[in-house]
Amino acid sequence: MGKFVASMMAAAFALGLAANAQAAGYDKQKVVYHINSADTKTQKGALRNIQNHINAVGKDNLDLRVVMHGGGVAMLQTAQKDEDMKGSIEKLKLQGIHFNVCANTLKGKKLNYKTDLYDVSEKDIVPSGVAEIAALQQKGYVYVKP
Amino acid sequence: MNEKDFSEEFLSAFVDDQLTAEEKSRAYEQINRDDSLNRRVCELRKVRDLVQLAYRDVPGAPSASGHGRRARMSNLAAGVLLALGVAIGWALHAPGDDNKLEGASLEFVQPDPVQITSSQSAATVPSEPAQPNARRAMEVAKAGTPAKVLIHVNDGEMTHLGQALDEVDNLARYYREASINARIEVVMNGDGLSLVRADVTNFGARIARIQRDYDNVVFEACKNSIDRLRRDKGIVAKLLPGVVVIDSGVAQLMRRQNQGWAYIQV
Repeated sequence: MGKFVASMMAAAFALGLAANAQAAGYDKQKVVYHINSADTKTQKGALRNIQNHINAVGKDNLDLRVVMHGGGVAMLQTAQKDEDMKGSIEKLKLQGIHFNVCANTLKGKKLNYKTDLYDVSEKDIVPSGVAEIAALQQKGYVYVKP
Repeated sequence: MNEKDFSEEFLSAFVDDQLTAEEKSRAYEQINRDDSLNRRVCELRKVRDLVQLAYRDVPGAPSASGHGRRARMSNLAAGVLLALGVAIGWALHAPGDDNKLEGASLEFVQPDPVQITSSQSAATVPSEPAQPNARRAMEVAKAGTPAKVLIHVNDGEMTHLGQALDEVDNLARYYREASINARIEVVMNGDGLSLVRADVTNFGARIARIQRDYDNVVFEACKNSIDRLRRDKGIVAKLLPGVVVIDSGVAQLMRRQNQGWAYIQV
């Protein structure tokens, strides 16, 4: 039994070394950010989180989706008037971040994505925000709720 | 009716989601009323989750043998025997370095009770493909790969709780309309418990409606939160019918994510 323990410890040690070697830079990441809060401060905080995430991982290493539903869709309504919000979203989009909007929410709140929301096209609409988040997680995206 | 009416086998089937809708609702009702029954279900869930966790990386394959509810116990026993056999066989054999990890990982291989005649033969063929679990293979064949979603509610504000139910409703309807097989668990802990406390919630009727419309949606309340409420505020939480009490909300979040469930906080 001593040999078993020793070999397991050796394996754990090797794993630890490997993990350590990678700590210098991050591997490619797939991440989904979930925004359902109508609070502008929370939304701006989330956008800052995302920018920091890009800064840490590098935009070429990051496949990052933002899924908005419920109150979260208000972020794109606010961006129609709020230059600061608009600027942050624009900057993130230029770095390859995708923003998705829940069709259920548009229907429920009677919003027209073409006129009521900032820079949304048909390909950005998903049938259900929550189902989209679940599907992304099943494809290996990591869930972050800022 | 008392808890003796539920055999170990019936409860196992309940935990494994193998009951008819009618049996299930009867069980929910009873479990909700009966503390000791609830504890037994908790224990069974724990065992099942531990077993699944250990086996979750093993690929399933179809099998001809008709395993039923009873077969699970013998499966489990075979698993324990195999693990023991591996340990003993290995201590006796003292294999070379390169065999060690393979030998160790055998404990996670799904055993087939028919195939394993002696633990030694199993220990010496570590590269043999994993044996199928008939029940699981059948489920997968029947259902495709089901969507499994855990929705976490830990905030007690009524408008938020209403939104959380909107999400549950929309999601369940979406999966039904898209003919996607799905399981949805709504886990409530901390202040989120308010959603299913009969004395404080505004949503009793709505939750009953969701439970009636969608038998793939289960509401689960954290026992730790219920205990804390009693300890700190002297409140004995009365839960809505059909709400299942689980040992720990946070532990459930971890278990489910380990099992490949999607996690969403609303």
